[in-house]
Amino acid sequence: MPKITIDGKTAEVAKGTTVLQAAQALGIVIPRYCYHPSLSISGNCRMCLVEVEKSPKLLTACSTEAADGMVVRTDSDKVKAARRDVLEYLLINHPLDCPICDQAGECGLQDYYMEHSRAKSRFPQEDKVRRQKRRALGPHLVLDNERCILCTRCVRFCSEVTKTSELEVMERGDHSYIDLKQGKALDNGYTLNLADICPVGAWTSRDFRFKQRVWFLKRTPTVCLGCATGCLMEAHHNDGVLYRLVPRPNAETNTWLCDHGRMTYKAVRAGDRLAKGVIKNGLIELEPALREAAGRIDENHPAAAVLGSPWLSVEDNAALARLAKDAIKTENFCFDFPGAQGVKDGILINEDPAPNARGARLVKDAYGGIALEELRARIVDGRVKTVVTEARAAAFVRDAVKASGARLIVFATNRADIPPAAYATLPYACYFEVPGTFVNFQGLRRRAEPSVAAPEGVRPLWALVNRLAAYSGASLHLDSAADALKEIVFK
Amino acid sequence: MENILLRDKVRDLEGYFACGGYRALKKALAMKPADVTEEVKKSGLRGRGGAGFPTGLKWSFIPKDAQGPRYLVCNADEGEPGTFKDRELLLKNPHALIEGMAIAGYAIGASRGYIYVRGEFAAETALLDKAIGDARAKGFIGRNLLGSGFDFELSTHRGAGAYICGEETALLESLEGFKGQPRLKPPFPAVKGLFAAPTVINNVETLAAVPAIIERGGEWYASIGVPKSSGTKLFCVSGPVDRPGVYELPLGVPLRDLIEKTCGGLKAGKRLKAVIPGGSSVPVLTAEEALKVNLDYDSLAAAGTMLGSGGVIVIDDSQCMVKLLQVLARFYHHESCGQCTPCREGCGWIEKLLDRLEGGTGTPADIDTLVSVAEGMTGRTICPLADAMAMPVISFVKKFRAEFEAHAAGRCCPPEAAGKH
Amino acid sequence: MAFTLTDEFKQRAEKICARYPRRDAALIPLLLELQREAGYVAEEAMDALSGYLGLPYSRVKAVVTFYTMFNRVPAGKYHLQVCRNISCHMAGAPGLLAALRARLGIEEGETTKDGLFTLSAVECLGACGDAPVLQVNEDYFGRVTAEKLDVLLEDLKHGKYPSTR
Repeated sequence: MPKITIDGKTAEVAKGTTVLQAAQALGIVIPRYCYHPSLSISGNCRMCLVEVEKSPKLLTACSTEAADGMVVRTDSDKVKAARRDVLEYLLINHPLDCPICDQAGECGLQDYYMEHSRAKSRFPQEDKVRRQKRRALGPHLVLDNERCILCTRCVRFCSEVTKTSELEVMERGDHSYIDLKQGKALDNGYTLNLADICPVGAWTSRDFRFKQRVWFLKRTPTVCLGCATGCLMEAHHNDGVLYRLVPRPNAETNTWLCDHGRMTYKAVRAGDRLAKGVIKNGLIELEPALREAAGRIDENHPAAAVLGSPWLSVEDNAALARLAKDAIKTENFCFDFPGAQGVKDGILINEDPAPNARGARLVKDAYGGIALEELRARIVDGRVKTVVTEARAAAFVRDAVKASGARLIVFATNRADIPPAAYATLPYACYFEVPGTFVNFQGLRRRAEPSVAAPEGVRPLWALVNRLAAYSGASLHLDSAADALKEIVFK
Repeated sequence: MENILLRDKVRDLEGYFACGGYRALKKALAMKPADVTEEVKKSGLRGRGGAGFPTGLKWSFIPKDAQGPRYLVCNADEGEPGTFKDRELLLKNPHALIEGMAIAGYAIGASRGYIYVRGEFAAETALLDKAIGDARAKGFIGRNLLGSGFDFELSTHRGAGAYICGEETALLESLEGFKGQPRLKPPFPAVKGLFAAPTVINNVETLAAVPAIIERGGEWYASIGVPKSSGTKLFCVSGPVDRPGVYELPLGVPLRDLIEKTCGGLKAGKRLKAVIPGGSSVPVLTAEEALKVNLDYDSLAAAGTMLGSGGVIVIDDSQCMVKLLQVLARFYHHESCGQCTPCREGCGWIEKLLDRLEGGTGTPADIDTLVSVAEGMTGRTICPLADAMAMPVISFVKKFRAEFEAHAAGRCCPPEAAGKH
Repeated sequence: MAFTLTDEFKQRAEKICARYPRRDAALIPLLLELQREAGYVAEEAMDALSGYLGLPYSRVKAVVTFYTMFNRVPAGKYHLQVCRNISCHMAGAPGLLAALRARLGIEEGETTKDGLFTLSAVECLGACGDAPVLQVNEDYFGRVTAEKLDVLLEDLKHGKYPSTR
């Protein structure tokens, strides 16, 4: 294993480790634009030049392999001068539009300028090369070619990660620019990653633009519930409002986040967000809605059924299991969602659109229950006349319910999710608002953490279950989400 | 001194053959490949494209145990301003190149060769194609060369207009059908070159010298010229001399002799002001420096410049150095591939500074900025194009600063050049 | 208008592709072939070629825009390309360009209304010993003087293509 000394600190690193990576391991941050740990090495920005003993020229830390006995300086005058020069070159043709640029606050040019340069520009503003200003490219992105520093991270992302190769650097020299086929939209399912990896304000998110200055944002680590992959992500929010979701790169699951996952937060404040109950099609306060639902269940306990949901947390599924077993006291409950699981596009998007089929299985392991087929059969043959479930999970018994006319009582966050056949709908707090445990397709336990408050009067699903049980005269003693987990064994 | 490369009556295969052509190939094929490389090492032949790297050594970098194909590529992407020797060779002695490539291919174990010709050389490419066809018909190219069991297939490949493709890894990118953007090194082409296989890239003039070296021996070749600069070199002289053109001379001849004797001196009424001795990318020499220097690698290095491609650009006193540098800056700005920040941004900045100085709106501070921008580009990019821009800038300003200052002060040029551009 | 690669083109293309271990290496030679046929490389041609070689369109477009010899709009019958680099500059290229602008009534990068001439200023053509150099389509004309230029333009206008060397 080569031993390398950087700024006087020595480390032994694996063969093939670059100087930049070795420095990182030693806690030395070498500035960079084109380098990205998950993309191929391009070496074009020249920001990471370092001094390597016995090399007459400065070398790019991103592309230079650590060699045994190598002595590197990242803080010499020569290196500092190179960084200052590269920054000056990058800035000469960069527009002075920071005040209206969404990248401000998380911009590589701003940050490194403050850290490594602070020089006054010697370049006359009127000489700047003009390029095309903002234009929407696809459903999620805006491209401002004038702000681009041509690091080609976006080009490499589209060729190496999505393998769609829409983007290229056209023309050459200081007139070159990033572009794609005229008239085509950039829409490969992962486009918002470009807004993240773009070190400047060239690629920005149409959704996020002008909504919030990034320095006001608070960050909550959480998990994406857009499918069974369960990507780790960070929710960015301020004053109780969510603004965007970005990936939390990790070795197990994800470096990136798909566009679908990024948009999952939109449901939280969508126009159809439910804050009240719905009976048939009419809105009604929560308590009367709960009472009505409980009344319908109480009509015939043996004919009531509870169907868990792969869209719900382990806690909420467990609460539903308790409802069936300890309040309704029925054998008609099901937490069995087989479904194909696995990444279907070779990147992140899972065959299973629901985030928690494996978590629901843990509830099945703890409480038992019947198979989905069996539940369907019991609905069809009339043994089950009322089904309590979550709105999206209702799809699993849609045909059976339709055939038998069974009554459907669902929990939902948004009106769009409510199945047409629902008799009563109870609003619950989503997992941007309350915590929840999920198990992704790999069997990894993932935690959703709340970042914003639920709408006034909207409560966690387990709490609604508690109330339903109470209306039916049973006490489940659920005082917190954690209470629901008591009988669950995580593997 | 007889010419080795620029000879008469060798344009076609019959003529070339009559003058002893393809004898060297036959001789080489009877040798061990390593011995062929050894002979070239002995000759002291250095790359004639500009960098002057020892050719035999370059060949020996091909890993001995490399499996799979290897490639030999001829760099005929002649585009360095002031350089027009390869074109002359392609027109006058194409078979020397073809024979040289067959020999070099044999030496490095490459059975496939490509000649990358600059796109504008359409007629030259057509001539080469015909010459390759003729050679193939006689068994000098193709399968089982002269019954040796060695196969060597060769074809031309035209570029499409990009100076940067003269840089060897940009050339490889272009040959593979990509934009001509230089690759990060390492890996070097000898290890991972064309189609990721071990590859040697040599200039036209370099490869064309190989048959003579094999036929007459490395020692014979090394006896021509001066130590560390052996053999003959094609010098292409442009500018206001009486007889501009391509001349083959032993390395080490005085630049003065080339200009005054070979080229007949400057045109009537013109006085020598400066010389760029090795293509537009090398530092300029003042008349005084030029008349003292010899044309070999070491002498020119000692004079602070380079032999480069052998493109000798003669500049007379009617020329404005600011204007000429502006012309060169426009070129490098136009040709920068745009990959590395310092080159992409610096070349344009330099041109704009020169536009201001030449246009009469420059300031004395612009002159210092000019030099510092050039210095900031030097040695900090993937390929040498940034340096090729910086060297003329730094040397022009250093040696002709008065002209730059006159421009900055609002006067056009020193009196002798005023009003003549 | 839909652009299709002719069978004749495809036959030639296959021969060119066969020179390389990977077909995509033939991209630039094939673009040159297309340009030779049509005088320029149209968007549709790029599309057709990217499909033919199995390449992303973006790569074809990037290559076409990187290299200066590809015309993206139809050029005139005669593409006059004046070298303006250092040796040609000293030998009078600016005057030559000015003369052509005046004679043709067009600026650099433009084509005469009759579609006969396109004028371009280009960088070093690699024939500096013959400065100033003018390239007409693929042919070089060296040591061009005002008189020679007049004769050349007249010849070209009358469909007479002079021999170059």
